[in-house]
Amino acid sequence: MFPRSALVSVLVLSIAGANADLDFNRDVRPILSANCFSCHGPDQEAREGKLRLDTAEGAKKALKPGDDPELIHRIETDDEDDLMPPPDSGHQLTGAQKEILRKWVTAGAPYDEHWSFQKPEKQVVPGGEYAIDHFVSKRLKEVGLEMSEPADRYTLIRRLTLDLTGLPPTLEEAEQFQKSGDVKELVDRILDSEAFGEHWARMWLDLARYADTKGYEKDRGRNIWRYRDWVIDALNADMPFDQFTTEQLAGDLLPNATVDEILATAFHRNTMENDEGGTDDEEFRVAAVKDRVDTTMQIWMGLTMGCAKCHTHKYDPVSLEDYYSFYAFFNQTEDADRGSPVMATPTKKQREEIKDLETEIKDLEKKVKERPKEFQSAFLEWKTKIGEGALWSPLRLRSQETKAAELQQRADGILTVKGELPEKDTWVLTFDLPSGQSVTALRIAALTKKPGGKWKDKNVALRELTAELIIEGEKPRKLRLTNPRADFSQKGWEVAKAIDGSTKAGWAFSPMAAAPHVAVFDFDKSIAGGQLRLTLEQEYGQGLIFENFKVSVSRLPSKWLEAEVDAKGGLESVFVTQVYEPTRKMNTRVVAVRTELEQVRRAIPNTPIMRELSANRRRVTKVHQRGNFLDQGEVVSERLPEMFGSLPEGFPGNRLGVARWLTHPENPLTARVMVNRIWARLFGKGIVETEEDFGMQGAVPTYPDLLDWLAVGYQEQGWSLKRLLKTIVLSKTYQQSSKVTPDRLAKDPRNALLSRGARFRLSAEMVRDQALATSGLLTQKLGGPSVMPPQPPGVWKSTYSGEKWKDATGQDRYRRGVYTYLKRTSPYPALTTFDAGSGEVCQIRRIRTNTPLQALITLNDPTFLEAAGALSKKMKSLEHGFRVVLIRSPSSRELVRLQALYDTMDKHYTDTPEAADELLKSAGLKEGDAAMVSVANVILNLDETLTKP
Amino acid sequence: MNFHYEKARAQTRRHFFGQTGLGFGALALNQLLAEEKGGFGKGVKIPAKAKSIIYLHMAGSPSQIDLFEHKPALTKFHGKDCPEEYLKGKRFAFIKGTPKMMGPVFDYKKRGESGQWVSDLLPGLSSVIDDVCVIRSMNTDQFNHSPAQLLLQTGNPLLGYPSMGSWVNYGLGSENKNLPGFVVLASGGKTPSAGKSLWGSGFLPTLYQGVQCRTDGGDPILYLSDPKGMSREARRKTLDALRDLNEYQNQHIGDPETLTRIAQYELSYRMQMSVPEVMDIGKEPQHVLDLYGAKPGFVSNVETAADPRRLYKGDDPTFANNCVLARRLVENGVRFVQLYDWGWDHHGSSPGESIDETLPIKCQQIDKAIAGLIKDLKQRGLFEETLIVWGGEFGRTPMMQNNVNSTLKPGYYGRDHHPHAFTMWMAGAGIKPGAYGETDDIGYYIGENPVGVRDLQATILHLLGLDPHRFNFSYQGLNQRLIGPTDDGQVVKEVLS
Repeated sequence: MFPRSALVSVLVLSIAGANADLDFNRDVRPILSANCFSCHGPDQEAREGKLRLDTAEGAKKALKPGDDPELIHRIETDDEDDLMPPPDSGHQLTGAQKEILRKWVTAGAPYDEHWSFQKPEKQVVPGGEYAIDHFVSKRLKEVGLEMSEPADRYTLIRRLTLDLTGLPPTLEEAEQFQKSGDVKELVDRILDSEAFGEHWARMWLDLARYADTKGYEKDRGRNIWRYRDWVIDALNADMPFDQFTTEQLAGDLLPNATVDEILATAFHRNTMENDEGGTDDEEFRVAAVKDRVDTTMQIWMGLTMGCAKCHTHKYDPVSLEDYYSFYAFFNQTEDADRGSPVMATPTKKQREEIKDLETEIKDLEKKVKERPKEFQSAFLEWKTKIGEGALWSPLRLRSQETKAAELQQRADGILTVKGELPEKDTWVLTFDLPSGQSVTALRIAALTKKPGGKWKDKNVALRELTAELIIEGEKPRKLRLTNPRADFSQKGWEVAKAIDGSTKAGWAFSPMAAAPHVAVFDFDKSIAGGQLRLTLEQEYGQGLIFENFKVSVSRLPSKWLEAEVDAKGGLESVFVTQVYEPTRKMNTRVVAVRTELEQVRRAIPNTPIMRELSANRRRVTKVHQRGNFLDQGEVVSERLPEMFGSLPEGFPGNRLGVARWLTHPENPLTARVMVNRIWARLFGKGIVETEEDFGMQGAVPTYPDLLDWLAVGYQEQGWSLKRLLKTIVLSKTYQQSSKVTPDRLAKDPRNALLSRGARFRLSAEMVRDQALATSGLLTQKLGGPSVMPPQPPGVWKSTYSGEKWKDATGQDRYRRGVYTYLKRTSPYPALTTFDAGSGEVCQIRRIRTNTPLQALITLNDPTFLEAAGALSKKMKSLEHGFRVVLIRSPSSRELVRLQALYDTMDKHYTDTPEAADELLKSAGLKEGDAAMVSVANVILNLDETLTKP
Repeated sequence: MNFHYEKARAQTRRHFFGQTGLGFGALALNQLLAEEKGGFGKGVKIPAKAKSIIYLHMAGSPSQIDLFEHKPALTKFHGKDCPEEYLKGKRFAFIKGTPKMMGPVFDYKKRGESGQWVSDLLPGLSSVIDDVCVIRSMNTDQFNHSPAQLLLQTGNPLLGYPSMGSWVNYGLGSENKNLPGFVVLASGGKTPSAGKSLWGSGFLPTLYQGVQCRTDGGDPILYLSDPKGMSREARRKTLDALRDLNEYQNQHIGDPETLTRIAQYELSYRMQMSVPEVMDIGKEPQHVLDLYGAKPGFVSNVETAADPRRLYKGDDPTFANNCVLARRLVENGVRFVQLYDWGWDHHGSSPGESIDETLPIKCQQIDKAIAGLIKDLKQRGLFEETLIVWGGEFGRTPMMQNNVNSTLKPGYYGRDHHPHAFTMWMAGAGIKPGAYGETDDIGYYIGENPVGVRDLQATILHLLGLDPHRFNFSYQGLNQRLIGPTDDGQVVKEVLS
């Protein structure tokens, strides 16, 4: 609680301020907005007594000059019927507020445009003064305060590193800085680290409502982590914010858009999709488009357009027509709650790999084509050796046993079914084998079927093929066929299934049945002489049996026959790819590289992206009455809300135009909203505390001049986030000590005036990352698919979704929080307990809480226990362990207390060795010092540890 | 649990009490005044009839036609084509073309002195029917589970809004500083369709979100147990050191937030005792357990099954156990106890989800327990201060679902989602027993006295002592309310005692 006296003095101050100099935007509008606008504001339908108080024109009636204008009478009267705001409205004016209104009316009731709708002006700063510090010290002086002393270097490096990278510094870095003391150099180095992008991406991902699942009932997974990595990369590259804006909102509409520019548009594909059975896709597409409108306005302009989708905004001048006209810009993309469109979005590594592999294949293929001098003679020699055309010798049919068909053999060895093809059949065919030769392989060539006939389907289903060797006077011997291969097999009917002993499936070749196909099998041992008996089971039905086919054998080495099933080059191809050593080697390599390339290509993630509908498919946008998409009214076309005029000359009337308008120099809000957001991350709250609302209902800026100075500078400096951050953190204001003195607490209780350094609890991800980093467990790996660090079993129990949480092992167990898999309907408990969101809707800021459930996480969650275990191993001494985490040295009493704890725990665990073993195991250790683990657990739970210093 | 710890509120106080914007100074004063007045604007808090609420949500939505709607006219039309007028312009989740009408599958009798029609599937509820107000004229505008559950529980069919329990927790807090003010218990093997968003805090601070207490043998609250090898005494020693070191930090820096943190660690230590204690229904005497049909320590195999529906058994005591637990929680000052029982989505299109076979099993699982809960609360004098609400997220069609089977087959009797009319009941604090609202002859539309989801929400808030129209939270430029931006939602005065 704040001391009572502090509040009294504050009251005096604010009234004094009001007396001194009345400012409409600062003093009057907030009172009118909070108490009057809901009935006397922009919303025509809700307007009472035809009076509006949000414009000078509309207020005339109530402000007629005279001794007691209506407005004053109404707020001061004792008559309950006349009193404004009406007693049953729940609003009530305080004495001070009435006083302000009276003064304002006396002064002629001057109106002024809402401050945030006026373009920020460049603020003048006296020469030689650091602008931020100039504004802050001036204001502090007015209330009788001055800045706190600078924080010491250990505090400063911990603060800077945590703020800019989300990770703590190492002890070595701290020592280095202690020696050099060069803050600029330190800041440059920190801003250069990859951890910078990972940390600031989290802020943006909250806004982008990024998650790894689609939401609603099924809440299935969605591959969109490439977008998360795009954000990290863009921030690390310090992509100017105007470009950052354009690519995310309209990258697909840029001329010759690159993969990365289109990938950026996944930003608005983070909206939820409903896969629940029986849902109306259009309903959820519309919900997604509305979300895009609201989110865009929230993020860039700090305006809450959401309420205008049902009725004209009660406080800000945004009408229902305004809403749906702006909605029309976003209503023209292909996506419709069904997952598509997606685009292949290779990572940088994949892109490089593909390029390298393709180059290698090209080079090799070129070389394979080159024929060295000796080639022709070698080829001739080989051909002579094997006999021209003698790869395969067709077999002569000796006898046939069939149920339905009758086979005939032509002179060239081709077998055909005589007459009409039966529905199904099993053939036992006996062939003569060439005498005096051993043969190694069997080939069945299926030739095309005649057109027409009873069976439309020209496919064949050879469900099972068996082979026997028959030698006169001996019992028939079963032959084992191996290495089945075919030039083509139907999916699920791969050629191997023809010799698997089951008639469930076999070899077939739909949808390529119109072409001839071959299958080749090796005999597991070469055979010689006698007869070959083949049984061809073709009982599938529907006429799926051979009509024209040829059975051949070969005497050549099996590897020479490899090419038979795919090469069209005949003998030369076989020679080049299988026989001739120099080209064979290269060819083997080509095959291997091709396989590798295929694997890399298959691993490329597809990411949902935005794609504009083609001209003939564009949607007509209508106003949705009361926000109901089933009740559509007037047709509207793309335009900005009226209060902002129209798109600048030459801007395209689509998302690209909107994106450019948002970062146009004349836009009064975007830069302010963005610098305020950055400021809030560093100072715990924004200069405008309601980061989400810069409209009439929003908070008034504590430092309007500073806000405008920052906003103008941000644009002038090329929208560079890194420069903006550097400007802020190099100020004395930022570098103040965060010590709270009674005087400061009294005069500046919430540190709104910045009379001390900002001290507040780390974000959810930082709490995790810091524990992992200081203990040495953290896996420093940039990007990639989201990971699943341990969470208790049974936390995921979604309806109708088979997807499971599988605790990561190895490196992925210890990745930064930004990479943790986020399931919207079941977010990671250790993060949400520390106020992280669920990615359902745009989250402008996280409201910090301080709860006992948080204590349970950092005390007992396996991640934090394992961090304590690792830290205990790393600690050279109690003092060292303390410093590893907090950077500063412990005071002597802190050290004494830690020592006392260690001694107590040491005795405890010496007395109970089983407990010691169990604790070590809980902390992920095989052996170690259980007492030290418990001390490390305490260090990782210190208030100072969990707090930015 | 002291979720209302002063400083945690101070962190966010700007957001809590509306804005007057005269610079931070006057604001802080207004806030203090507001807090002294009870935290909110004038008239937000009203005299409460109910101290706490036990909300029993049957996720999937039970068939009102087969439980509460005695419709002889519908029986007459059984098996006939549904007239076109009922289908035109309607959106169904699964019904295609022209379905057949389907009369109630089970017999009805008049029950209790009030003579209300209740089907044979609910003998337990029938035995206490004179303590219950049955509302047969509920309706909603959502016909898919996830949006309908969200609308009912958060006031908005989209994700991202605070749940009713969070609103109440924010408005009233917990009576017991060692327990959360909003506890969620789930049974039936799955969480409801809309997942944990149903007890999320939306734009309210996460402080107010529901705490799901698990009853499947693990920690009732995540990470409540100390790790193996850390005894309670050892934990105390480490927390002593932690407290001392944090005290030093406070003396050095002087940030009040440090004191809050010390307090929260101490509270977490106390919760490690108080939560398992209250969660241990084994402490109940046998005759009380028998009243509900509860079995302490029972862990159902459906809790880990991929598709639990085919494994349901009538004597599964999980829901009964949760009812006993609910009573123990409200007895200990928990404000809002939310039970979800999954498995009530009886489409009849696949095994384990039929009206004829699954519904009776599900009824057995809950019926005795609910009767037991009402009787137990009564014998303890808690019935008069506890509000009980029972229902699904919408109703089921008076037609059979026809997308898989076009004729009735045993084990495949099913009904589709029906937003136009369904039945809920309320009992206990502030509720006048009896019946309210009626549907037409075949149970398709509301006949009289419609009660919308927003009316239900308004009535619940009203009974708990919060004016549903004034109770709001400023966010996104609007004074957000559970009942939504319009004043469609009204307290149903006729059901109040």
